[in-house]
This record gives sequence, C-alpha cells and structure tokens, in this order.
Amino acid sequence: MAYSWTKGSEKSLDQDVAVLSSSRRTYRGYVPWVAAALAVLIWWEITALHLVSAVALPSPVAVFHDLVATATVGYSGQTLLNSTLFSLGRISVGFVLAVLVGIPIGFWMATTEWVFLIIDPFLQFLRPIPPLAYIPLMVAWFGIGELPKVILIFFCTIPIIIISAMSGVKNVQESRRRVAECLGANRWQMFRYVVLPSALPEVFTGMRVGIGVAWTCLVAAEMIAASKGLGWMIQAAGGELQIGVVFVGIIMIGLLGYGMELGIRTLEHKMVPWKGKA
Amino acid sequence: MPASVQWSERGFVAVIELTNLTKVYAATRKGGAPTVAVEDVSLSISRGEFCAVVGPSGCGKTTVLNLVAGFEKSTQGQVLIDGTPVTRPGPERAVVFQQPSLLPWMTVHENVGFGLTLRDKSNHGHDEAIGQMIDIMGLEGFEHHYPYQLSGGMQQRAAIGRALITEPTMLLMDEPFGALDAQTRSEMQRFLLELWRSWHPTVLFITHDVDEAILLSDRIVVMTPRPGTIAAEIPVTLKRPRQWDVVLSQEFLHYKKRILSVLRREIG
Repeated sequence: MAYSWTKGSEKSLDQDVAVLSSSRRTYRGYVPWVAAALAVLIWWEITALHLVSAVALPSPVAVFHDLVATATVGYSGQTLLNSTLFSLGRISVGFVLAVLVGIPIGFWMATTEWVFLIIDPFLQFLRPIPPLAYIPLMVAWFGIGELPKVILIFFCTIPIIIISAMSGVKNVQESRRRVAECLGANRWQMFRYVVLPSALPEVFTGMRVGIGVAWTCLVAAEMIAASKGLGWMIQAAGGELQIGVVFVGIIMIGLLGYGMELGIRTLEHKMVPWKGKA
Repeated sequence: MPASVQWSERGFVAVIELTNLTKVYAATRKGGAPTVAVEDVSLSISRGEFCAVVGPSGCGKTTVLNLVAGFEKSTQGQVLIDGTPVTRPGPERAVVFQQPSLLPWMTVHENVGFGLTLRDKSNHGHDEAIGQMIDIMGLEGFEHHYPYQLSGGMQQRAAIGRALITEPTMLLMDEPFGALDAQTRSEMQRFLLELWRSWHPTVLFITHDVDEAILLSDRIVVMTPRPGTIAAEIPVTLKRPRQWDVVLSQEFLHYKKRILSVLRREIG
C-alpha cells in the first residue's frame, strides 16, 4: 500500500505507553496505604502519649474494640451490619433515583429553552437550602418511615446531577456537531452519537460529587425518627458520649463512601476512557 | 493507491457557484457595529478543480467555506451546487476542519465509517469499504485505536477518510493542515496531491499558507479583510504531477511573488 511512511515511528507508541503506566502503577499501588497507615500511627501516638482525654479521642485499639462490639452484640439492639445495610439502602435508592430523574431533566433543560426557564429558578432556589432545614417538612409531608429519608437524600443530590448533565450537553464542541451534521445526522442520531457521549464525562463528575453529598445528607436523614442506620448510630452514641462508637460510624461512612466513589470511578473509566484526553 | 476503490458515477462531479455572496454578522448587544465578514464574493469552481482561497486571518475565508458547507446562511447572494441553492449541510459536501474533530468515543474504524453508520445503521457491508479507506489513508493496524492514541497527522488522515467514505461530490477543506508541524504538513500535502491525482475531486481549500496553496491548487483566490472581498484570482498552471521540489522552481517563486504583492498591497 502507499503511504507506509508513518508506520515505523508509530508502532512503538503502544509500548512506550505501557512502560510508562506500569512504572507509575508501582507507586500508585502502595502510596495510599502508606498514607493511611501513617494517619493511624499518628492517632495512636496522640492517644498513647495521653495528649487528649481518652473520652474525647479513644485509641485505635478502643475503637477496634467498639467495632467488634457493635458488629457482634450491636448498639442499642442494632448490629453494625444491620445499620450499615439500612443506610446503604437509603443512600442507594435516593441516589439512583436522583441519577435516573436528574439526567433526563438536565438534558431536557439544556436542549429546550422554556424547560430551562421554568426549572432553573426552582433549582437555584432550592440548592443552597441545607438538608437539616427540610426535616420538619419531610416529617409533616411523608411521615417517619423510610420514604422521607430517601426523599431527603434524593432532593439534596439531584441538583448536582441536573447541573452536570445540563452543562455536559451545553459544552458539546461545535465542530463535533458540525461533523455529524454534514455527514447527514438527524436529530436522534446527533443525540445518540454526539451529544450523549460528549456529556458523559461531566455526568460522571456530577455523580462522583453527588454520591459524596448523598452520604453527607445521611446523618440529617436519619435524624428523622430513625432507630437504625449509621447516621442514627452516630447521633445516639454521641448523645451518650460513646465516642468510640461515633468513630466506628464515621469510619464506616468514610469507607463506604470511598468504595462507592471507586465503583463510579471504575464505571467511568470503562464508559468514558477518553476523558481528559480529548 | 488501490485501483479496486471505485467511486460511484455521481462522485466528485459538482460545480460550485457563488453569486454575489455577502455575509454580515449582526451588531453585538454591547453596541458593537455589525461586521461585514464577506462582501460581494462571486466565484465559480468547475468540475474536478482544486481551488484554494488564501488570505490573512479575519479575511472571511472560513466564512466562505461555512456558507458553502451550509453551516451558516448568507445575508445576500447564494451558493449553488450543480445549480441547486445550498440551504443546509449535506453528505454530498464533505468537510475537513482544521482540528481533526474525530469523535473520541469511537475507534478509528468507527470514526471513518461514521457517515455510513448514519446512513444505514445495519453495519453489514460497511466493514469492507471502511477497511479499504483505512488502507488508503495509511492507517492499517490502527483500526481499533482511539483518536487520542494517534499522532496529529494520523488523526487528520482519519478525518479525511471519514469525509471521503460517503462519496461526496466535493471536498471542503478549512486549513486542514494548519495545526500540524512542518514535517507532517508537507507529508499531508503530498498525500493530498496523490489523492487528488487519482480521483480529481472538486476541492475548495482554505489556507493562509501561500506555498501550500500554490503547491496544491489549479487556481488561487486571494481574499483581503474588512470587508472580505476577492482581491485577485490567479490560475496556477504548474505542471502535474507536482513533486515537493516544485517549490524551488522559478515559476513557483513567480506565483508566490504575485500573491504576496497582492496581499501586501491590500493590507499595507
């Protein structure tokens, strides 16, 4: 074939990339663990040297003891697993609903002006209201069951999802639209092949921020007449000055939030491998 | 170039006609005056002609291309393709942009075949045509790479392949090699010369590089800014096929001198 003049230099590209990422991976693998171990070590030293009272900051061993106790015996009759599953369930339902409802609303707002004009004022009005402020309303409107808790998480998460989906669609590069246009794309094809994939990276960013916000709302949500859940456990234990149990709850929320973030990140990497590269 | 690739009868046969084309951009809200981007441009490009438009940035040459492509609407005058006025973009007018504008979520294979996918979603029978186009563009072995894994020149070749695969009647190129380094640019010019020699497409080629315009085209339209008008039309009769060393010939320098003097007179 003609034009083989580029081949020689390009073939080695893949190998170069492979070498680069493998050398990066070696320290990527252990740096987070070293950082975490260091943090625990400092915590340990502070408690071992009695720099603060053991009631205010229990030692890692004491917290581990509380962890075992809450996991086996439970706290106020609720095992750690039970509380975790309930919290996880509330977060998941609230968050997934926010994603399922928020993304289409965001897309619709970005493409249809009158929809934007109607929804945007409400969105901007509701966004700064802290989750705690909703609690009385939630109880008055939806009672004290699971529903108000899920709706609270849903309400606090959805603005971020809507805004990210909307800006994702609005930021589609004009040149990409034009490419599809002059190859004869109709409206649906334009959305399917250009707009939707263009918006995905921002949607994922929105989801990553959103999952953090959802966990942030959990404690507020579980102030609504709860008798299980990690947020409830933290508040109840805090009231009884059982700081060790509070720590167990905080660590569980942190780890679960981190895990969900990693999950979304993996999904993002699979679905938008080009993110940041083009 | 493989002889097995055959264009259909309607391939590359269009005549482009611009009649008194004027494009005015409306005044901005902040009180800026309306901008006349292109004023009274008349131009006729014949079947299989390679026509280059040169001019400094801001002289409206891209606006002319956008009007021919149908991305924008003219204020006055019209663009006729084989006698039919242009109202919107269409697959018979393939456009190659300065940035390759490949879709980053598609492989080279999917990008090159994008026009076929849009035309007919069932993918059967496309693979052969796409494979041939990838061979012609010198991208074999990179079918399943993503655009960000390619060099700039390879990306632009994929973009040209994508433009050609729908068998357009003309090729509109907007500074297609402007973003490439000097070495790659001259390789791409050689590539385009070969391509044109085999198929004789009708080409409207926008560039600010005078050398590039002389090397590639049959006719050079020199545009000058504010408002964008045609200052000169210069036929290039350098004999084909042209090799890279044509740029060293007396004739070439003669053309270059003429064009530069037009540009200098109009701007200075």
